[in-house]
Amino acid sequence: MKKFQLGEFEEVVMLTVAILYENAYGVSIKKEIEDRLGRNVSVGALQSALKRLEDKDYLASHDKDATQERAGRPKRYYKITSLGKQAMQYTKETRNSLWDAIPSVSLDVKFAVVYNA
Amino acid sequence: MKPIEGDLMELYDERVKEKGKRRANRRFMLDVLQLFRPEIIKPVDGTYRLTNYGMLQNYFKVSVRNILRNKTFSFLNVMGLSAGMASCILILIYVNHELSYDTYNEQYDNTYRIIHYYGNQESVKSGEPLPANEFQVWANAPVAPAFKNYFPEVKDVFRFTSPTSWLVEYKNKRFQETNLLFADSTAFSVFSWDLLGGDPTTALAEPNTVVLTKELAEKYFGDENPIGQVLLFDGEYQYEVTGVMELPLNTHFEFDGLISMETFKNFRPGIFESWGYVDFYTYFTLQQEATMDRIVAQTDQFVEENFTDDFGYTIQYEPLSYAYLHSEAGRQPGATGSLSNIYIFTSVAIFILLIACINFMNLSTARSVERAKEVAIRKTIGSSRKALVSQFLVEAILLTFLAAVLASGLVAVGHSYLEFLSGKTLPIDWLFTPANALLAMVAILVIGVVAGSYPAFVLSGFRPVKVLKGSFKTSSGGVWLRKSLVIFQFTLSIILLVGATVVFRQLSFLQNHDLGFDPEQVLVIDFGFDQKVQQRVKTIKSEFLKHRDVVSVSASRATPGDFFPNAGTGVADPEFGELVYKSPAIYEVDEDFVPTFKMSMVAGRNYSKDFLSDSSTSMLLNESAARLFGYPDPEEIIGKSFEQWGREGTVVGVIKDFNYVSLHKEVEPLTLRYSRDINTSVISLRINSEDYGRTLSELEGIWNEMAPHYPFMTRFTNANFNKQYEADKRFGMIFTIFSSLAIFVACLGLFGLTIYSTAQRTKEIGIRKVLGSSSQRIVSMLSLDFIKLFGVALVVAIPTSWFIMKSWLEEFAYRISMGWEVFLIAAFVTLLISLVTMSFKTVRAALSNPIDALRNE
Repeated sequence: MKKFQLGEFEEVVMLTVAILYENAYGVSIKKEIEDRLGRNVSVGALQSALKRLEDKDYLASHDKDATQERAGRPKRYYKITSLGKQAMQYTKETRNSLWDAIPSVSLDVKFAVVYNA
Repeated sequence: MKPIEGDLMELYDERVKEKGKRRANRRFMLDVLQLFRPEIIKPVDGTYRLTNYGMLQNYFKVSVRNILRNKTFSFLNVMGLSAGMASCILILIYVNHELSYDTYNEQYDNTYRIIHYYGNQESVKSGEPLPANEFQVWANAPVAPAFKNYFPEVKDVFRFTSPTSWLVEYKNKRFQETNLLFADSTAFSVFSWDLLGGDPTTALAEPNTVVLTKELAEKYFGDENPIGQVLLFDGEYQYEVTGVMELPLNTHFEFDGLISMETFKNFRPGIFESWGYVDFYTYFTLQQEATMDRIVAQTDQFVEENFTDDFGYTIQYEPLSYAYLHSEAGRQPGATGSLSNIYIFTSVAIFILLIACINFMNLSTARSVERAKEVAIRKTIGSSRKALVSQFLVEAILLTFLAAVLASGLVAVGHSYLEFLSGKTLPIDWLFTPANALLAMVAILVIGVVAGSYPAFVLSGFRPVKVLKGSFKTSSGGVWLRKSLVIFQFTLSIILLVGATVVFRQLSFLQNHDLGFDPEQVLVIDFGFDQKVQQRVKTIKSEFLKHRDVVSVSASRATPGDFFPNAGTGVADPEFGELVYKSPAIYEVDEDFVPTFKMSMVAGRNYSKDFLSDSSTSMLLNESAARLFGYPDPEEIIGKSFEQWGREGTVVGVIKDFNYVSLHKEVEPLTLRYSRDINTSVISLRINSEDYGRTLSELEGIWNEMAPHYPFMTRFTNANFNKQYEADKRFGMIFTIFSSLAIFVACLGLFGLTIYSTAQRTKEIGIRKVLGSSSQRIVSMLSLDFIKLFGVALVVAIPTSWFIMKSWLEEFAYRISMGWEVFLIAAFVTLLISLVTMSFKTVRAALSNPIDALRNE
């Protein structure tokens, strides 16, 4: 049974929100992901991920700073909830346990199977 | 939505800078298009939400049909609820009026009054807190200017006197006006009274000026402009009308007109210097931002520096907001309200509404049997529980709305009755504001939801299979709840009934209480200190005495129930014979006063014509006054020396205590001073007549011969004295009426429940009858259930009501003791009413033919 469900992109978003700490809102998250991972993130994809995470109670949000440059629209800041933190830790631990379970030879380059022979 | 727009805008701006407008536009559009994702656009959880409207319409239709189908139940429900709501609103109107006293003042929170303590010097100097109820509002004149000079925080000080009585003439109109006050010119800066004409700053500044209330101005001047007109006072003084004002309904003292204080000063300048002469009420306002702290802290110093007489005197302060409901001080300028009555009324209002809501719940739940099949079928077809709950709530709210409409009609009708009962004009315009309309809508919703919630949740919880198979019973939890609600209702009813009984008995006790004198059959002629009458008072007395129906005649300053002053009085103390000063009330009477009012002497003798010195060297007092001066045995005070208002001599008699103020209070110390003719204002005649109409007209003939210049104005003392109990009586009446309403509403509910329970047990009754049970047994069996509940209610209600009524009775100095019979009466009446109510249905059920009950299966 899956205790916490966190997709790959969702995990990236969670981690980015955590990195940005108190400065995590739409544009900053988008840029951070684009900078760090070098991949393009559309506003739509990001927003739907944020919405899903919020629905799962992994993220909490509040609106503030309605500035001129944003045409008077507030920024919606995201924060990781304690449930969200647990989910992230859970994901990290399952990854780690999987890494740990890999026999050291399997990643040894010398024995690596070369497919494109 | 907005934060996303913001993000888009921010990105757009950035891209415009980096890559130019065109590309930015394109990206913007792309972003927007990419945003069309199901998660972001609209939550989609179930499709039924989209069909809300149709379903609501259906709820509404079904509700209306249901209400029409069960006419009895709907009628009982709506009736009970509307009676409950109407009573609640009416009480609210009354309570709101009581709480609104003096709030019309713009400086309501900034206005205070001085309350004064007169007593012996030791108790003032001891520094111990003086009891609040020994302070009085009514006091001297010089404190006001001294106070204003001493404290810069004080903005305006306003004094007014107790009511004075004048014969007022204008052209051919001549009336005795008994409620005119002398008032300082600051009247309109302290109190926010509207001047309809005249200048508020100068209206009362000059001597010989008056400000009239609108009513009084109309009485004398009709349509004429009163400003600048001259009224003739007491046949010799000409006072100019300088203003016409409107006095709000919710003011804690009332008057018909104000005469400028300067006028009074010209009459008697001496009393404006005397700290011992008591006839003034003093109110003041503070400067903006000033507080009472420093004033309170420096009061002792202020009194010390300004007050030089040798009796004990100090002052305290009361905010204006205390004046009507909270003040304990004596000698108030007007009738005060009762805070405990307000609490009682408010609880009655809540009780009635509760009882009505409980009815509603009980009746609706009880009807669940009939509705069970409907619910089951709805569920089978696929209705969710939520939908069923809202269906029942809509029904409840609809009924509540109907009840509210009916209630507002009842309020409109009941309002005039309430005004009649309370003797007050109760404005209701404050009710009709948009905020209140909204509040009413919210209240309807809340009452509807509260009253409808239980049936809604119980009914919607039925298991359709069970119901449709026919093996359906209401849950035991539901029965339990219904029973406790009935117990609760019974409890409230019994409490109210005990309350009504106690109030009723206490009031009749007061009516029949031995007052210590006989106010019946004493006719009082009031001539308002008229000097011409005073000069001939002895002759007039003897002329009246010649009339065959007149038993005795007395001339005095006042009669019991009238206004009276207090007087600094010294009497020799029992041990050393030194004069001890106190401040008892004072009556000024002649030697015929005691026999005319049938008072009795407990020691010494009455004033007598045989003792010529009585008029200047004798004094009578009552038992309480004797005790006040340290003589528990009245015999011992006889012959002791006294000093009062410049008169010295000996105490010659002690009179039995008689109630001259109110039975709320113990009889207070009173001295009866021998009155000189120039201090008389009334003539009292004890009459023994078969035909009062004839006697009265003959007496009027005598009066017109003796004093043709003065109108013959009479009243009966008992009427005058009964006025003091008016507030109590009104309270009793209002309380009784609303209690009966509450019990009526409770009975409606009980009736509904009986219908339900007999309907449930139709078959049982049928079988019992077939097996040979008698009708009586069945009736008693059906009633027994409720009697058990009644018993439980009794156990709860008796101690509660005992406690409540005990604290109510404590307001009276003379009160009944609450015997067990009070509770017996209340319990018996409640039981009887409920049994009679139930019998309408139970008897019919018991008498019905068992075939009808058993035939349909």
